[in-house]
Amino acid sequence: MLVSIFRGKFAFALKIIALLLVNSILVMLAQQALASGEYAISIFLAVATLSINFVYLTKRSVPLKFFLPGLLFLLAFVVGPVLYTLAMSGFTYQTGNTLSKPESIIQLQKNAIQQDSNQTIFDVTIGKNGSNELGVIYFDSLTNEYAISTEKDRTVEPASTIVKNEYDIPSSSPNFEALTEVELAALDAQIPKLKFYYNDELYLGLEGFEAASIYEQTLKFDAASGDFKSLINSDIYRDNGRGNFANINNPEDILQPGWRTPIWFENYTKLFTDQRLRTPFIQVFLWTISFAGLSVLTTFALGLLLAIALNKAIRGRRFYRSILILPYAMPSVMSILIWGGMFDTDFGAINNLFGTHIAWFQNAAFARTAVIVVNLWLGFPYFYLVASGALQAIPAELSEAAAIDGASPRQIFNKITLPLLLKILSPLLIASFAFNFNNFNLIYLLTGGGPIAQLDGEIAGSTDILISYTYKIAFNQGNSNLGLASAISVLIFLLVASISLYGLKKSKVLDDFV
Amino acid sequence: MRNKRIGVVGAIAAAALAFGVVAGVPARAADKEIVIWADETRGPNLDKLMSQKSDWVSGYTFKIVTWSSFTALKTAFDAATEKSGPDIVMAPNDWVATGAKAGKLAALTPSSKVKSQFTAGQLFDLSYKGKLYGLPVDVNNTGMIFNTKLVASAPKSFGDMVDLYISKKASLKAGLCVAGGGNSWGGLAVGTAMGAYPYKIAATGAVDSADPVNATTLAANVTKYLLGADGKSNGFFPASDAGCKENFLAGKVPYAIIGNWEWKDYLDKGFKMNLMPVPGVTSGTYAPGFGSVSGALLTTYAATHGVETGAKSALFNIFGSAVGARSYQAIEGRPAASKDGAKYSKTAAQKGFAAVAGASSIPQIGIILDGDKTSYWEAIGAFWTAVLVDGKSPTTEATKLAAIYKANLAKGLKDL
Repeated sequence: MLVSIFRGKFAFALKIIALLLVNSILVMLAQQALASGEYAISIFLAVATLSINFVYLTKRSVPLKFFLPGLLFLLAFVVGPVLYTLAMSGFTYQTGNTLSKPESIIQLQKNAIQQDSNQTIFDVTIGKNGSNELGVIYFDSLTNEYAISTEKDRTVEPASTIVKNEYDIPSSSPNFEALTEVELAALDAQIPKLKFYYNDELYLGLEGFEAASIYEQTLKFDAASGDFKSLINSDIYRDNGRGNFANINNPEDILQPGWRTPIWFENYTKLFTDQRLRTPFIQVFLWTISFAGLSVLTTFALGLLLAIALNKAIRGRRFYRSILILPYAMPSVMSILIWGGMFDTDFGAINNLFGTHIAWFQNAAFARTAVIVVNLWLGFPYFYLVASGALQAIPAELSEAAAIDGASPRQIFNKITLPLLLKILSPLLIASFAFNFNNFNLIYLLTGGGPIAQLDGEIAGSTDILISYTYKIAFNQGNSNLGLASAISVLIFLLVASISLYGLKKSKVLDDFV
Repeated sequence: MRNKRIGVVGAIAAAALAFGVVAGVPARAADKEIVIWADETRGPNLDKLMSQKSDWVSGYTFKIVTWSSFTALKTAFDAATEKSGPDIVMAPNDWVATGAKAGKLAALTPSSKVKSQFTAGQLFDLSYKGKLYGLPVDVNNTGMIFNTKLVASAPKSFGDMVDLYISKKASLKAGLCVAGGGNSWGGLAVGTAMGAYPYKIAATGAVDSADPVNATTLAANVTKYLLGADGKSNGFFPASDAGCKENFLAGKVPYAIIGNWEWKDYLDKGFKMNLMPVPGVTSGTYAPGFGSVSGALLTTYAATHGVETGAKSALFNIFGSAVGARSYQAIEGRPAASKDGAKYSKTAAQKGFAAVAGASSIPQIGIILDGDKTSYWEAIGAFWTAVLVDGKSPTTEATKLAAIYKANLAKGLKDL
């Protein structure tokens, strides 16, 4: 019965059904991505669909049947975002520079209008004239006459011929017929682009279906030169190479919105040449290294200590083992938030327990201590578990032989147990370091990166690590800078990768795989 | 066997393609649907509005998308694309500048009839570089209430409140705390009472370009009213708003600043809406809090979706007309921004908050408040912590705060 699940016709049928479901989902997603203009995603999904079918319906590569899902997820959720981040790090990608250049030009052209000096608005009815041209009929309060304006011209209509609606607004005349509501709705995409003639300098632009304002164009885009020219004072606005059109006579006078433009390595060099960024970056980097190192050291030490203590047969060992896992079993978000409450200055359990009134999160040293303590709570069960397992793997004969030779328990631990443990656990220690290097959750939820001496102009807080500092730069309320944040993210990736590779090389773990 | 395998593959491919084509749905269900994004209070209010009347613009339907909080709404709006973004977003006014700079908001020009519904200040709140990006919907502000069991009569000056607190200190947790809006937004009036103005508004309605803070006056007021003889906080105003609402409702704090979205919680507990602005240090004067508007903003996505004209009409018909104002005010708890809407604000609380905003408030100008290096939101919190918690010199900290506010004002004025 069990064999038939994995072999034979039943298994084949299950495989086909699974493939059918996967193919359906991927094709649907690829189609939606294509419809949304996300061509890269659409192509990737199409290639994934083809590769899944090829691998699982042929016998070309049996190992690939196991690796393919992981490989596809790796490409989609690791390699793809890394490449995109790398690309974005070379752009000005910040508030005011998020669109593409064509989008920016469209927006600028649309915004480059101003109302006439009287800020005149007419109540209008949209319709068609006798020549079937789209236009508006209205009472011109500036000239006290009824008029029909089309895109080409403006004609005056005798008052006696005007038919008004219940709101006393002109709605039709012998030369004009109003459009129905259905016809108006169908024209919605076209209406914002319409400019109805008023005079040689001014035009009527619709604001909704019932009102039109007198506008004049203030900027004109010259496609040949790629510049904007002011129609008010003849100023020229030219692409400044940094994602904005800037006044050639006054570079600080820029048009908004701008666009994303490549600036190559400028975001990287800025980190080291701009003192406003360099100083906090170095401080945050040093704290990040310290925090990750201390976290690994403390959690490993406590975990190992408990593993050694419970390695012996003592009463209640099972009970102790169960409760020691609890911090690991609880969702870390909950634990962090609870600890945050416990560290509260006025109402927190820590201050109440010790009879103190420490402002834990307002003092840099105390805040860093709190962060290490909470991370210790969250991390020690993991190392307790792995250390327990690793201790079982060390042959007892080694300790016994050493004891017979006269070694003390401390010597046995230092010379035999610990080195063997480190050899077994070094990849996990390196992984823990890498994890804590980017431990965003803890910092964000517990201290928010603070305390920050804002009044002294600090940008980064005392407990900010590189990733939380990057988050603040990326999502600053007033001026988010995704390009700079991407550059820092790339640096973090290189740092963690370098440290991890160095550690793995030093521990010679990779030698076993080569 | 090979043919059989090919047949199976072909069958799977055909079935998958058919399913994909059938199941694939376009990003937007209806061509003429106007999508409005709103927060967790306004979203349900708009749903009720649409269930009562949905034909605000003939030929268009409305879809209301409610987000769990303003933060979630902001995150989603920041990440919105041309395909996924809304046509109208219900947002606080300080989103206007960044939204316009990012090319996410579209300008509109209401008729003089619609404009006459609002004050110049309200329209200014939703403008950036002279262009209007939406219509005001409701007034966002806070007001101070007092516990009539602890306070015999309304205080005339800030000093009156401090004196009462000192006389009853043993039984109180604080004198004045911020129950709604946080210490930086809701508690602006405490800062301005002491002299910490992020900016001032001239009689003309324009932003005053003069330095907004006199550090000496600020330090002197803080020392006199908020610190004891030992230079530490006298407990009147806590640096944190944690527990304020609970303490006020429990009768442990005589004065509290509450938000205009939560007054029902206090009425339910038997408190009166004796709303007033925070008194200034000079008797008979008031300290301004933020009195800005939330608005219905037009996005550039509306043009992409081909519903821009309909969306503009929707804004004018719903939020700029008497019919719309009456319908929406019957549901909304906040004071209305429009004059017609204000006529239908029936409760004492709505009228009270509107009166507070009218008596003493400054608009919330995001382009100045967000600053460059240090925003107002960060700076004022750091100031209160430094002076009231860490016991640092008020003079030194006031000087730093004044410098930050001055720099933010200078930068903001360039961008306004």
